[in-house]
Amino acid sequence: MSARHQLVALTLVVLLTALVGSAHGQAVRNPDTYVVVRFADPETLDPAYAYDTASSEIILWHIYETLIFFNGSSTGLFVPMLATEVPSAANGGISRDGRTYTFKIREGVRFHDGSPMTADDVKYSLMRFMFMDRDGGPSALLLEAILNVHGTRDERGTLNMALFQEADRAIQVRGNTVSITLKQPFAPFLSIMAAWSMVQSKRWAVQNGDWDGTAATLARFNNPKKPEDTVMFNKANGTGPFKLVQWDRQTRQTILERNEGYWRRPAAFRRVIIRVVEDFGARRLMLQNGDADFAEINRPEIPQVEGLPGVRVIDDLSALITDGIFMNMRIDTSGGNPDVGSGRLDGNGIPPDFFADLNVRRGIAQAFDYNTMIRDCWRGKASVGNGPIPKGLFGYNPQGKWYAYDPQRAAAAFREARGGQLWATGFRFGLLFNTGNATRQCMGQVLKAGVEALNPRFRVDVRSITFPQLLQLYRESKLPMWVIGWAADYPDADNFVTPFLHSSGTYSKAQGYNNPEMDRLIQQARFETDPAKRRATYARIQEIAYNDVTTLYSYRVTVRVMRTWVRGWYHNPAFFAPYIYPMSKSP
Amino acid sequence: MAAYIARRLVMLPLVAFGVTVLIFALLSFLDPAVRAGAFITNPNQLKAIDSIIRTYGLDRPIYEQYWTWLREVFRGNLGWSQTARMPVREAIAAFFPGTLELTFYAFVPIMLIGVWLGTAAAVHRDRLVDHLSRIFSISFRSLPSFVWGLLVLMVFYGRLSWFPPGRLSLDADLFVRSGQFHAYTGLVTLDALLNGQLWIFADALRHIAGPAITLTMVSIALLVRLMRSSMLEVLNQDYVRTARSKGLAEPVVIDKHARRNALIPVITLSSYTIVSLLGGVVITETIFNFPGIGRWGAFAAQQLDIPGVTGFTMFVAALTVLGNLAADVLYVFFDPRIRLR
Amino acid sequence: MGLAAVTRGFHEHRPRLAGVAALGAGLAVLALAVPLTRERVAQAPFAAAQCLLLVVAVATFWVIPSDLTRRMRKNPLSVAGFGLIAAFVAVAILAPILAPPPATSRDPYIIPQEGFASVPTPPRPGHPFGTTEGQYDLYYGIVWGARTAFRVSILVIAIAVAIGLVVGGLSGYYGGRVDEAMMRLTDIFLAFPSLVLAVTVVAVLGRSLTNVMIAIAIVHWPIYARLLRGDILSVRGRDYVEAARAAGAGDVRIIVRHVIPNAIYPFLVLSSLDMGLIVITAAALSFLGLGPDVGYADWGTLINLSRTWILGRPGEPFAYWYVLAYPGAAIFLFVLGWNLLGDAFRDILDPRLRASG
Repeated sequence: MSARHQLVALTLVVLLTALVGSAHGQAVRNPDTYVVVRFADPETLDPAYAYDTASSEIILWHIYETLIFFNGSSTGLFVPMLATEVPSAANGGISRDGRTYTFKIREGVRFHDGSPMTADDVKYSLMRFMFMDRDGGPSALLLEAILNVHGTRDERGTLNMALFQEADRAIQVRGNTVSITLKQPFAPFLSIMAAWSMVQSKRWAVQNGDWDGTAATLARFNNPKKPEDTVMFNKANGTGPFKLVQWDRQTRQTILERNEGYWRRPAAFRRVIIRVVEDFGARRLMLQNGDADFAEINRPEIPQVEGLPGVRVIDDLSALITDGIFMNMRIDTSGGNPDVGSGRLDGNGIPPDFFADLNVRRGIAQAFDYNTMIRDCWRGKASVGNGPIPKGLFGYNPQGKWYAYDPQRAAAAFREARGGQLWATGFRFGLLFNTGNATRQCMGQVLKAGVEALNPRFRVDVRSITFPQLLQLYRESKLPMWVIGWAADYPDADNFVTPFLHSSGTYSKAQGYNNPEMDRLIQQARFETDPAKRRATYARIQEIAYNDVTTLYSYRVTVRVMRTWVRGWYHNPAFFAPYIYPMSKSP
Repeated sequence: MAAYIARRLVMLPLVAFGVTVLIFALLSFLDPAVRAGAFITNPNQLKAIDSIIRTYGLDRPIYEQYWTWLREVFRGNLGWSQTARMPVREAIAAFFPGTLELTFYAFVPIMLIGVWLGTAAAVHRDRLVDHLSRIFSISFRSLPSFVWGLLVLMVFYGRLSWFPPGRLSLDADLFVRSGQFHAYTGLVTLDALLNGQLWIFADALRHIAGPAITLTMVSIALLVRLMRSSMLEVLNQDYVRTARSKGLAEPVVIDKHARRNALIPVITLSSYTIVSLLGGVVITETIFNFPGIGRWGAFAAQQLDIPGVTGFTMFVAALTVLGNLAADVLYVFFDPRIRLR
Repeated sequence: MGLAAVTRGFHEHRPRLAGVAALGAGLAVLALAVPLTRERVAQAPFAAAQCLLLVVAVATFWVIPSDLTRRMRKNPLSVAGFGLIAAFVAVAILAPILAPPPATSRDPYIIPQEGFASVPTPPRPGHPFGTTEGQYDLYYGIVWGARTAFRVSILVIAIAVAIGLVVGGLSGYYGGRVDEAMMRLTDIFLAFPSLVLAVTVVAVLGRSLTNVMIAIAIVHWPIYARLLRGDILSVRGRDYVEAARAAGAGDVRIIVRHVIPNAIYPFLVLSSLDMGLIVITAAALSFLGLGPDVGYADWGTLINLSRTWILGRPGEPFAYWYVLAYPGAAIFLFVLGWNLLGDAFRDILDPRLRASG
C-alpha cells in the first residue's frame, strides 16, 4: 500500500468509527448520570456570594444543605435537614417573644472531606453569609432578618465594626444547639433559613485561606470585588448528597459526583452534569436525542418540545414570580427624557406627575385587556394578579378584587382625569421593557392597543432597551411605565409586598409611591407571628393595592421539560431547579 | 526583509493598544449605571446600583479608568472577565485552542474545495461550470450563517445523530478529565493522537464536524473567487500561452503551469483567510455550543464586560497583525520578484 | 460632453427609445385601467410615478448599446443579478402600493399585527406569506423590508465612503506624515475583530437601526480608505495631474476632476459586493440581539424570528417553513443579486481580465 492509500484507509476507519459510535436507540442513556442543559453560567459557587438562579441551582441542597427544608411541595411547612427539628413555639424552639430561634444541630453529619459538622460550623456559615456582604449580594437577606440593617457598610462604604459584635452576640452556640436572637420578631425567618442557611466547614474554609471568623480580618474579607476573590468560588466542602468535582468554565459545565458518606441513603445518580447550552436549537436536539435528561426551555419555545417522543413537558407549576407593569408617579424629566415627549400635557407628552392622578391609573388598569394578555403573551400559562403576592403563597387573597378590561369605564376614568383636560389634549409616553423579552413586549403591545383604542389622541410607544440601559433609567427615575418581574428570594409574602408597595421598596420607591398606611401595614405583617392576624393584614394590603393601583400584576406559572425516563422528580415553587437527590432514571 | 519584519513588529503594540484606546473612548458614551449592568443579573439586586458604581469606580473620568486598567496590564494582569467567569488571560488561554482547531478543520476543506472549484470556473470561464460554481459558492454567502448552522445541526444531529453539538461526548469528556489523558496542546484532536486515543480523536472530530461544515459553507465563496481570478490572470500570462503553443496537452498546461502559479496569491492570502475565519466563528460557535473564543468575545461585547472585550480585542488585533505579516513574508518567499520595503 | 452629445445620442437611438416610451406608456395605462391597481396607485401616486420612471430608465440603459451592456449581455449571470436588483428596487419603491399600511399606522415600517399569539400561522388569504411569532404579517414585512435593506446598505456605504474619502484622500494626496498617521489609524480599525467591534458599538450607543448602521459603517470604512489611497497614489504621479497642477488647479479641483473619476470603478465593484454583505451583517447583529425591535420591517429581524422555528414541530420538521422561507428568500436573492452584479462589474472593469474576454 502506498502512503496515499494508507491515508485514505485511515480516514475511512476514522469516519466509520465516528458513524458507528453514533448509532443509538432510545434505551436509557447514561443511566447513572443526570445531565441538565441550561442557558446561563453560574456566577460563583460561593454560597455567600451567589445571588443568581444558575449558581443556586448547583449549590443549594446539592452541595450545601440548610438547617431546615421545605416539606414536599409546600412553601410554608418545613422539615428538619441539618437541624433535627423545626423550631416552633410548641417545641420550645421559638421563644415566647418570637425573637429567639433555637436549632438543634444533627449529629453524625460529615462534610465531603470527612470531617464532622458542628454547631460552630453553622454559626460560622451564618456569620460568613452576613459579613461577606458584596455589593448586590444576598447578605442583606440575613442582615435584615437578624440585625434589622440593610448592609454592613455606610453610604461612603465604611465598614460598621459594631455590627460584628452585635451579630456575634445574636448567634449563640451552646453544645450542639445554635440559637439566633433577632432584633425584632420577623415572621418569614424560618422561610429564609430554609433557603439561605447553607452550612460550610469552618476548619476547611480557614485552612484554605478563607475568613477566620474574627473581627480582626473582617475588613479584608468584606465586599470582595470579584467572585474569584473568595475561596469557595470554585471549591466546595458541604454536607450535601453531591460533591463538587469540577466547575469547568471552559466547556461551561459543572460536574458533581455522589457523596458516598452522605448522612442519608446516598443518591441514585453517580454523577450530575450541569451544562450551559445557549442556543435553543442545540438544547432541544440534545433533549430529543437523549443526551440531556433535563432542559431549561423558555416559555415561548415550549411548543417546539411538546410532543417530542420520550420527552415530558410538565406545565402549570406554580412559581413565585410576579410580573408587573409599573406606573411612575414622579417621573424625572430633567435633561430631556424621550419617553415623556414634551414633558407637558399637550398631546405630545406627559408631565412628571401624570400617573400621580388616580383616574389615569384606573383608566390604564381598565384599558388593559387581561384575557388577551394571558392568552397571547403567556399562551394561557399565567393568571391575572390582584396584588404582588402570587397565588399559592401564604397571604394571597383569592377573594381580593381587581379591575377588569372595560373600555367604557376606562374612558370614563380618563375623562375625569386632570380636571377633564386630559381627554381633549391626549398624551404620549413610552412603555419600556428589556430587549429580547418577547412576553414583556407582548404585554406592552396589549396595553398599547387597549389605551390607544379609547381615543386617537392617546399614544403609547412600546420601546425596548437593554437591561443595563433600563438600570440607568430606573436609577434616574426616568421610566414613565415599564414591565419587569420579581422572583422570590424566599417564599414569603413580605418578600413581595416590600419591593412592590413599601415606600423604600425596590420598585415602589422608583415609582414614587408613598402611602404611610401601607408602610405601617407592611411592617406590622412582617413582625406578626400569628398566622390569622398576619393573613388579615395582607388582605388589607391587597385592598389598598387595588385602590391605589400603582402596578398591574400577573402571576407566572413555570414549566419543566425532561426525559420520560426521569423518576422521582417533584416540584416546589421555592426550588430554583429540580431537587436531584430523590431522582433516578429508569425506562 | 528583516528590517521590514522588525518594523511591522514594532507596529504590533501600537495597534494592540490602539484598539483598547478606541474601546475606552466608546465607553465614555456610557452612563455609569449602564456599566453597572455587567454586575447585576437579577432585579433583586437593583438597590445595589449605587454601591456597585462606587466600589468599581465606574463614575470616575474615563482616562483615569483607562490608566488604572493600563497599569494593571503592565503588571501582567488583564483583569477579570465577568462573562467568562475567569481572568481574561485564562479565558484567552482556555477558549483560543478550540477556535484554532475549528479554524483548521474548516480551513482544509475551504482550501481544497475552493482551489478545485476556482480552477474549474476559470478554465471553463463563462460557461455552465463557471456559473454553477459561482452560484454555488455565493449561495452559501447569501444567508446569515446561523441559518446554515441550524440547518446543519438539524440534519446531522437531529436527523442523523452524526455530529452532536459541544466539544466532546460524555464518556470522552470524563476520560479527558481523568488522570489518564495528558493535555499537551489544548487542541483536543491533536492531544488525542499524542495520547494514542483514537476514539477520543474520532469523538472530537464528530463534534467539530458540524461547526466546521458551517464555516466552510459560509467562507468558501471568497476562496473560489480568489482562485478563479488568480487562475484567469495566470492563463493570460505569456508562459502559459507559450506552453499551449508548444502543443502541450491542456490538462498538463493547467495542472503544471497555470495552477501552480495561480496558487501563489491564494496561499499567501491563506493566513489572511485564517484570521478572517477567526473573526467569523462567533455565530457558529454559539449555535454548536462550541467553547471558542469568538462566542466569548461577542458575548463580552454584548454584556459590556469591559476587561473581557479589551483583552479579546487586543489578542485578536495582535493575531491579525501577525497574520498579515505572515502573508507578506510568504509572498516574498514564493515570488522573489517582490521586495518588501 | 454636453447637450449636443445627448441630442446626437437621442437621434441615433430613436427607434429603440420609442419602444421604451411605448413600454412606459403601456404600463401606465395598464396600472390605471385595472380597478384594483388604480385604487392603490391613487393612494400612492408618487411611488407609482417613481417606479415608472425607474422602468423607463432601466429600459433606456438596456437598449442603448454601450461597452457595459455589451459585456453584461455576454454573461447571463450578470443579467440575472441586474434583473434581481432592479426587481428589488421596484418592490422598494412600490411598497405603499404592494402593501398599503393600515389607516391607523403612524410608521409604515412597523409591521401590522393581527393579535399577539406567539405561534406563527401559515399563509392564508389576507396573509399571503403567513405570520411570524407575535403575528406580524410576513408579506408586509418583506415588502417594506426591501426599503429597509436599501436604506441600510446605501447609508452604510455612504457613511463608510465618506469617512474613507476623507481619510484615504488626505492620506494619498498629502502623503508623508499625514499618510503614516492615517494608515496607522486604518490599521487599528482593520485589526479590530469586525463583528465584535460592531457589537460593542451597538451595545454602547444603544439598540436601534441607526446605531446598527453606524456600527457597520465603522467596521467598513477602512477598506474604502485604503482603496482610495491606492488610487490616488497611482494617479498622483501621472502627467495630466501634474499638468493640471502646473496650470494652477487647486487641490480640491484636482481631487474632484481627476482622482475620483479614476477611482470610481473599483468603488463600484467593492460597494456592490458590500451591499449584500451589509444586510447579512445586520442580520448577524440581529441574531446577537442587537437589531431593531421585533416588529420593524427588516429582513434580518424577520429571519431571526425564524430561529426557534427552523427545527419545526416534533414529527413535522417543516411545520413552520414559511417563517424561514420567505425572509430567507428575500435576503438570499438580494445578496445574490448584488454579488452577481459585483462580479459582473469586476469582470467588466478589471483591465487584467479584459484582454482574454
